[in-house]
Formats: sequence, C-alpha cells, structure tokens
Amino acid sequence: MKVLVINSGSSSLKYQLYDMTDESVLAKGLVERIGMDSSILTHKPTGKDEVVEVSEILEHNTAIRKVIDKLTDSVHGVLSSVDEINAVGHRVVHGGEFFNESALVDKEAKKNIRALIDLAPLHNPAAVMGIEASEINMPGVPQVVVFDTAFHQTMPEKAYLYAIPRVLYSKYKVRRYGFHGTSHYYVSLAAAEFLNKPIEDLKIITAHIGNGGSLTAIQGGVSVDTSMGMTPLEGLMMGTRSGDLDPAIVPYVMNKEELSVSEVNSMLNKHSGLLAISGVSSDMRDITDGWEKGEANATLAFEMYEYRLRKYIGSYAAAMNGVDVLIFTAGVGENSAIVRKAVCENLSYLGIEIDEELNKIRSGDPRRISTPNSKVEVLVVPTNEELVIARDTFRIVEESNA
Amino acid sequence: MNFKKIGVVGGGVMGQGIAEMLASRGLDVLLVEKNNEKLDYSYGMIETSLDKKLEKWGITPAEKKLTLSRISKVTHFAELGSCDLVIETISEDLEAKKAVFAQLDQVCPSHITLASNTSALSLTEIGSSTLHPERVIGMHFIYPVASINLVELIRGLKTSDATFEATKNFVEETLEKKGVTVYESPGFVSTRLICTLINEALHVLEEGVASAEDIDDAMRIGYQFNRGPLEMCDRFGLDSVLAALDGMFREYGDLKYRPAIILKKMVRAGHLGTKTGEGFFKYDKDGDRL
Repeated sequence: MKVLVINSGSSSLKYQLYDMTDESVLAKGLVERIGMDSSILTHKPTGKDEVVEVSEILEHNTAIRKVIDKLTDSVHGVLSSVDEINAVGHRVVHGGEFFNESALVDKEAKKNIRALIDLAPLHNPAAVMGIEASEINMPGVPQVVVFDTAFHQTMPEKAYLYAIPRVLYSKYKVRRYGFHGTSHYYVSLAAAEFLNKPIEDLKIITAHIGNGGSLTAIQGGVSVDTSMGMTPLEGLMMGTRSGDLDPAIVPYVMNKEELSVSEVNSMLNKHSGLLAISGVSSDMRDITDGWEKGEANATLAFEMYEYRLRKYIGSYAAAMNGVDVLIFTAGVGENSAIVRKAVCENLSYLGIEIDEELNKIRSGDPRRISTPNSKVEVLVVPTNEELVIARDTFRIVEESNA
Repeated sequence: MNFKKIGVVGGGVMGQGIAEMLASRGLDVLLVEKNNEKLDYSYGMIETSLDKKLEKWGITPAEKKLTLSRISKVTHFAELGSCDLVIETISEDLEAKKAVFAQLDQVCPSHITLASNTSALSLTEIGSSTLHPERVIGMHFIYPVASINLVELIRGLKTSDATFEATKNFVEETLEKKGVTVYESPGFVSTRLICTLINEALHVLEEGVASAEDIDDAMRIGYQFNRGPLEMCDRFGLDSVLAALDGMFREYGDLKYRPAIILKKMVRAGHLGTKTGEGFFKYDKDGDRL
C-alpha cells in the first residue's frame, strides 16, 4: 500500500509518499507561497535529483494537483498513475475533545475539525482545505486524520483543567490540550523498543524541543501531563514564544503600551523567548555560539532556557513519583549536545549521569547518552511524525477494508 | 468572485492605510498616485507605519518585508485593468472623484468592481460618471484602517446585487471586518452621527461650558469612547470634519449640521489637527499627544 502524507499550512503544504510494504519514502516535497502568482514547488524523489518549479498556485486544490502531477511525472515521478495512491494521511493540529486517536475522514470527522477552528484559528482551516483538495483530486481514496493533540487526551482532569471558573470549560472547552503528541508518542515507543522494555512499566519524560518546545510525562505508555496548554504558547521558553508567565502581565502590558489583542498575541508568540532575551536570534545554535563567546545576552538566554527546561523535568519526575527514561528529540533536542549536557548536569539529584563522549555523537539513530551508573536512562531519539501519520493511515484504512 | 489583486487610487492617509491593510492580509496591491514623488512619499509613510507596528510587537521584520513586497507603485490608470477591485481614496471632492471614476470606467473591464472610500458623498452621483454604475459601490473604511474593523458598504441607486454581495463577502471573509449596509444618504451612518457629536462638542467649547480637556474626558471616561470628540476631530482633520458638516448642512438644510464657528476659524488659521501638529490639542510628528 502507498500512502501520501500531507501537512497543510495556510500558505504551504508538505508531503511525503510512503511505500508501506517496507515503510520507505518514495518522494517528499513542499509547496510554498500558496495564494500567490509565484508559488514554489520543491519535489525530491528518493534517489533522484530535486526539482524546483515556480508557478501560480492560488489555493490548496491546485497545490495538490501539482503535487500529483510531479508524483506521476514521466521523468521526476515515482508512480505510473495516481491510482497507485491507496490512502492519504493528514496532519491536523487540533483534535479538541472529539479525537483521542487518529480517524478515518467522513462527514462527522470533517464537521468536528471545522468546529475546532475556533480553538485553532491559525491551523485547522488549512487542514480542512488540504482534506477537501485531496477529495477533489483523489476521489474515492480513503483519508485519515492524525492529530497533534490526540495522544494527550489520556491526561487526567487534574492535569488538564485550569484553576479558573469551571463554566469556562463547559462553555468554551478552555483546558489544556497539549501539542506535538505524534512526536511524544513516537519517541516514547521507539525508546521502549530501544531499551527492550515494555512501555507499560516505564515512567518517561519526553522533551520535544525545536523552535517550539514541549515536555510530556508518559506513564504506562500514556500521556499524563504535558507543558503546552490550550494553545502552543504555554510551558517552556521557546525560540520566539514566552512560555509560562504570570497571566496578570498580559492586561498590565496591554494597558501600559496600549496594545490590541492581536499585538499582545504577536508579542508573546513571535517576539519573546530566546529572541527577546538574546536580542539577536531565536535559533539555539546562535545562542550557544554566543554563550561560548561569553556574550552576556546570549548567555542569559541560554541559562533561562536551560533552567526552565530543567524545572519542568523536575516537576514531571514529581508528577510521576520518579522517572526511568528521559528523551531528547526535535531540532534542539537531537542536535544540541550543549543543551543536553547543561540540563543533565544539574539533575544529579535524580541520579542522572551522562557520558560526555556519547553525548557528543551525532547520528540519525536512537542512542543512549547516559552512563551505565545513571539511575535514569537518558536517550536521544530522532522524531518522525510523518512515519506515525503514514502508519496510522495504513492501519486505519486496512481495518476499514477488513 | 474572490478579490486577490486590488488597485488603490490615492496615496493619502486613507489610501496608505487601506493599501497597508490589504497587503498585510496577503493581497496584491497597486497603489496609484499622480507622480513618482507622491508615490515614494506614500510608500515611505506605509513603511513608517509598519515600523511603528514592529516597535509595538504587532508584526515581525519578515512580515514587514512581505507586506511591502506586495505593494506595487503605479502612476498610470491603465495598469489597473488587471485588478479585481479598485478602491478610490482621493480627497472628498465630488467633481474630482467623478473624473477618477470616468477614467477608471474606461480602463477597467466592466466585471471589475469600482469602489469609493467616500465618507459622505453620493454614490449614485459618482456612479453616474461611468457607463456601468451597477459595479460602483461605496466602501467607507475608518481611520486607523488596520485596527477599526468596520466598513460601511454604501449602495448607490444603481449598484447591482452581485456587486454588493461580492464586496460584502470580501469585507467580511477576506478582510474579516464587519460590513454595515447603508442605503445612500448624506453622511451615511457613521459620519452623520460622529460629526454631529463633534459639532455639539465644539458648541460646548465655544460657549465656555467646559475646557477641551474636560469635554473629552467626560465622553471618553463617562461613555467609554476610546478618544474624546475633540481629539477625534483633530485626528480626522479639522478640514475634513468641516467639509463633511458643510456637505450635510447643504444636503439636509437642517441647522443641526451647521458647522460651529470655531471650527471655521481654526481651519482658516491652518490648525488642522494631528497632521499639522495642532488642533484642539498638540501632537508630535508621530501623531502622539503632547
């Protein structure tokens, strides 16, 4: 079975085509600047040269048609006909309380994803466009939706409710949802496999830290708490996002600086985090470079980032009354040995001890960076959200055919 | 019909604001002025306005660049033939507006919607200068365009349902602003009501009932206006308020629209409000109250 994985943004669309017989990637690519007369399609068939094409792509429907054209192209293509695509899997950011697992797309599912636009105004509309465009271009091909929030639906009430009037939850579903669920799920499973231990017996903390970042406490294989909240703004300090802050700061600053709701949203989401403290960059590589050179602002940014990340790890160890495995993943987690070392050095009270040489190894495979003496297994596990989407899509479509 | 490419005729305060707001929503804008100097000035003012938003964290440097890149400078009407919608934003002079619409009528194929940002003038009369008055409509944006989420949609006598529906849909879906439907009448709804309030505040000031500061505080704090009527007058421009009142006084013949004498005096003295640094209050070059 061949599965096309689609990740739709408001003006972009990423895709990967999987052959599920061996989970190999046949081709991947990206359409950027949808809605403009000079949209860019970058197509990379495995083992062949990358092709870049600039053309007018005004909406997702055209974007998907162009992607199919490329996949079936006589020179750059990897399929002889669009009929070879057996299923389509879509990444959807917000599944709300409707979805606690991936689902086959039907009328009901589409209605629910639309109903969630209110909670995820920046993300869910694009997903709807991607689904509808796929229906038009691949009629009859089953589609599956995979949600960033679904994995966290196992959180207990005490973890997902905010201590504010409960009517806000019953009326507007104001609660913690958490994000990056596909990634937290994938790396925790891969870690259990790597350690050759049943995941049911493990207390795992997963640190998905990239440009955005979130931490999840996973006990018995299910998410029991996670650092992102109703939106991806809560929790850790991130590249350009503030993470946790005293909520009273928001009305105070809005009043002092005469900011509108959209300005204060933009401030907290795009002008905060590492960028705000360092004054130069939201990229951890620039921050650690500055820290190594002794630049004061970069150093402070690094220290704040590490300190807050470490506090969250401590709180999740407390939440689960212990931790067996700590996993680093995503851009910063997979690549920044400096961040991993700084965090782990100050977690010796948990019995964490990392091997500096192992920590320095760069690799695309799951690996252990803790010493044999360490009471906690510390692992680096490269994430692969697309593969989870492809697997879920394959499984759900197989089941529905059976 | 989805409007994607939009012509903005006139690079004054409203033209700048409308062009910037459209471009920041991802639409392509052709900004038209009489010559290159005026175009460069308008474009520079848009850049300044974006810089202010950047300073207030409303946008990022990348978003500023992207918005500017969507605005093309144009000096010839002929280039507007490729637009989906053209919005005229020149000064409130009926004859000048009619001349612009007559020209637009010639260069824009008849399916292109032609809108005027007039705050008070007759759409029927503006439409009469064209061969296709059914595609002429009023879109009254309110300053500052980026943050005021209201557009008065004015139907001239001959504006077609199709033109009206497409424009309303554009305003509400694409621009995400509330579109209020108004049948043609001098001053529509917003200008008629706000100018009457401002004029009454001017009478109160003239009569020595209260100071400018106290009049504004009374309305601002007492009735939750963002700004008091006198500061509003400064920000609209005293000359614009006078022109609107004069127009409504002429059209309705009702004394309640007769402009207060103090307004005429101030305009004659060149105290036009924020744009000249002085009106009922004083302002710096960024338009902030001193």
